[in-house]
Amino acid sequence: MIQTMGLETYISSLRSHLGPITIGDREEIVREIAAYIRDSVEQSGLSLKSVLERLGPPDELAAQYRDGLLIRRASRSISPLLLLRASLRLATKGLSGIVVFFAAIIGYAMGGGFVLSAFAKCFFPAHTGVWIRDGELISSGTQFEVPSPPAHDIAGWWYVPAALVIGSLLILLTSFVIRKALRVSHMLQAKLGLLRSTEPVG
Amino acid sequence: MMRLRAKSSEPEASERWEAQLRKGALEMAALASLWHGRLYGLEIIRFLESQSQLILAEGTIYPILHRLRAEGLLTSEWVEAEARHPRKYYSLTDPGRQRLHEMAEAWASFAGGLTRLLDPVLNHSRNIRSTEDKQEVQP
Repeated sequence: MIQTMGLETYISSLRSHLGPITIGDREEIVREIAAYIRDSVEQSGLSLKSVLERLGPPDELAAQYRDGLLIRRASRSISPLLLLRASLRLATKGLSGIVVFFAAIIGYAMGGGFVLSAFAKCFFPAHTGVWIRDGELISSGTQFEVPSPPAHDIAGWWYVPAALVIGSLLILLTSFVIRKALRVSHMLQAKLGLLRSTEPVG
Repeated sequence: MMRLRAKSSEPEASERWEAQLRKGALEMAALASLWHGRLYGLEIIRFLESQSQLILAEGTIYPILHRLRAEGLLTSEWVEAEARHPRKYYSLTDPGRQRLHEMAEAWASFAGGLTRLLDPVLNHSRNIRSTEDKQEVQP
């Protein structure tokens, strides 16, 4: 009776932590894990407590499924939000993930900045542009204080398409880099267990 | 092997490296376990333990099988067998077999090159072990 309660509590907790996964997939996962637990208890003679301990906490097990789903979806997506979420998750897996995450932040911030300044040019034309003085770049983007003459804006209304193109390219390039990193991150996804590689099992 | 590891200046680093190496091979090993036919999760775990010394944390293999199935490399079906409950059996799909072929060829090429590179090191290790064994036998 206690063992049954233990199994059901574990399964119930696992199900609740599988939240973002579709109901069909969730029930499939839960059914499979329940079958594994019953098989392990029946075939190996281990107690239910031992089997559950070896399986790991339900929230950690669920996190492995959720991570796999997030990274799989993001690696096929162009949504910056989804890609950023996946790169943040990747950052928790190691140094290379942290590098990808910060590259993503910088890339999207720069790209987004260019796009926003293109729109800002429409509303604050005098405060947005590319200013040079004596052939040297003084300032660019949207400025609260416009550089004083002899500095002058050389872009004019060409700033809008130029900033949109550069910003969009930066966002696309950042997305491409993150997707590439996520696709080669299967090694990181495999960073789930095996740490007991020298322990006998069974 | 164990003696050499014990003498290493950084045994933990060596063990971490070995664990990383095993992790990297896990996806290929999971696919390879299904080469001869369908198996369910617990059978895959036991097959890997007995055939490849890949001893898994139990919660490891299922998310990997789930991902491989989502990628179309595996297919699965629930089977009512002699057990009192149904079991989920996995099989390789054609793309899965193709991927495994590619992985196996890449692995064999990589391992072959490294083995040649490591031959002198392994020979040296064997010589040391042989010398130590002789010294232990002599009174």
